Amino acid sequence: MSTEFALAVSKLTKTFGTGDLAVAAVRSVDLDVAAGEVVLIMGPSGSGKTTLLLMLGGMLRPTAGSITVAGTDLAVTPERRLPQLRAQHFGFVFQDFNLLSALDALENVELASNLAGVHGAPAHRRGTELLERMGLVHRLHHRPDQLSGGEKQRVAMARALANDPPVILADEPTANLDSGMGREVARVLRSLADDDQRAVVIVSHDARLRDIADRVLWLEDGTFRELDAMAHDPICGMAVETTLDHPHLERDGTLWYFCSTGCRDEYDARPVAESTAPAPG
Amino acid sequence: MLGRVPFARRTLFAERRRAALAVAGVAVALLLVFILDGIFAGAIQQVTAYIRTSRADAIVSQQSVRTMHMSSSALPPSDVERVRGVAQVAWVAPIRYATGIVVTPTDRQLAYVIGYQPGRRGGPRSLVEGREPRDGEAVIDRVAARGLDVPLGGRVQILGRPFRVAGFSSGTTSITNTIAFITYRDFGRLRGSAVSYVLVGGRPGTSPRALRDTLAAALPDSTVQTRDEFVVREASIVRDMSADTMQIMTFVALVIALAVIALLLFTTTLAHLRDYGIVKAIGGSPAQLARSVLVQALWAVALALGFAVVLALGVAGLINRFSDNIAIVIEPSSVARVAVGASVVAVIGALLPVWRIARLDPAAAFRSAL
Repeated sequence: MSTEFALAVSKLTKTFGTGDLAVAAVRSVDLDVAAGEVVLIMGPSGSGKTTLLLMLGGMLRPTAGSITVAGTDLAVTPERRLPQLRAQHFGFVFQDFNLLSALDALENVELASNLAGVHGAPAHRRGTELLERMGLVHRLHHRPDQLSGGEKQRVAMARALANDPPVILADEPTANLDSGMGREVARVLRSLADDDQRAVVIVSHDARLRDIADRVLWLEDGTFRELDAMAHDPICGMAVETTLDHPHLERDGTLWYFCSTGCRDEYDARPVAESTAPAPG
Repeated sequence: MLGRVPFARRTLFAERRRAALAVAGVAVALLLVFILDGIFAGAIQQVTAYIRTSRADAIVSQQSVRTMHMSSSALPPSDVERVRGVAQVAWVAPIRYATGIVVTPTDRQLAYVIGYQPGRRGGPRSLVEGREPRDGEAVIDRVAARGLDVPLGGRVQILGRPFRVAGFSSGTTSITNTIAFITYRDFGRLRGSAVSYVLVGGRPGTSPRALRDTLAAALPDSTVQTRDEFVVREASIVRDMSADTMQIMTFVALVIALAVIALLLFTTTLAHLRDYGIVKAIGGSPAQLARSVLVQALWAVALALGFAVVLALGVAGLINRFSDNIAIVIEPSSVARVAVGASVVAVIGALLPVWRIARLDPAAAFRSAL
């Protein structure tokens, strides 16, 4: 893994609204992602994950802070230049695949090359190679409605690579896939970091993606928490802070933390032998 | 168009039925314009048929009179001899002319009445039946005769006097009027000895313009035009008289086309709003997306224009074949004019979708539904 940062985020803040109605979705976040590194950002719904990802991708203007990619600070880049930066420096993988329904798989990938300024035969060649790499050489001219969920996400990943971006941003990439396909997508994301030395930032609820991540960050209330210092709710699996402000209970000398009193009560109602099975995170 | 991938075209035709219906709608609107234009052009051809086919190199008329349609011209008979005296003149054909009505006991038809000297120039271009008129006789157009139910040898009233139909001519009846030929002498007896126009042929090697200039110098109190100039003036006066109606009809047809194109583009844009959001998210600029909507608009118009031209040629062929007095002429200039108008309509129709796309937030691609 290289130590050069492909993506550097400093004091990033996003506040929606003003005055008494102001809501801070992201609060002074710092994040450096090196080339070849996979960073997984987890957190409960409404924690600011998507807001953070949108800012990283140059789709949402931060209230304060900087986002540096290839020497350019997206936070102060004029609006008109952002599409070109997105086309050249980022690959996006979406939860809903977001393939263009009117185009076939190859055209979906070629279009991303076109947007990055590559046209004609080179774009065609690049698209074919990427779909081959994703194991979809037999699906080049199939439209999205003729592909399975896993195939769609692999086409989406090929599209994300079409412009040879240094940074891949993935939003819940395994959310709409079965476990087998989810593992396959996770493996491909890991290979994008290992084989291509790309920085991969994944926002997800899927704990399985922890296996491929170099770092797992927990975003809650707009700030990163130290995941190692957190416990996992033995009922729902959610990471929770180990403070006595959170619902908790002690059993057999171990202090258990829960995301809610509901999970705590459910755990409390279980027989002792069963309830001690899951280990805290 | 976004690079080489035909995103605009694929998106437009993703829903083929909607696109086909819209293109058909625009084609019908453009067809209406073509047919109106074609009827108009046909009418002008018919109205100018006499002069166009007269073989005259120059036409002399009363000073400041430059047309036959809606005009009255009177030249002194001595002018005919003055024309004849010009060196470059090969032949001279004086005609007398008035607007009148051909009347039968049961029907009537508006007509240009022309008095000419049988056996000389200035008469009907071609006789399809019968012979040239003698005094007391007339030649009328075959189509008009059929409409008036007048047989060869039948009787009609022209300029208030009875005439026997001695022959049928062709190609001089339009949707509004016809031409009736009587003798120069009969016309003089009915309307006086003045000459209306003098048709002049030049000697070989004399250009119509040179002849016109020489005649104009010899007859300074008259107006002299080449045949082409006369035809252009004649067409222009007909065009001016009908311009308002034509413009209104064309405007209405183009507004219909605009509505259909705008509806097609807007519904296509709404149906693919998520796609546009995705393209924006992965780096498509507002200008590229606007261009793709414009390409869609031009595709719709180009297809509609193609269909409309083919349909118009078909309709014109059928009408020309089965109708005697309506001629539809689809001219290249009409196609070019409609193409320009339709392109403008396409651009206007694209404005609302372009505005909608410009406002689209690329972050929408990260939401489950738009």
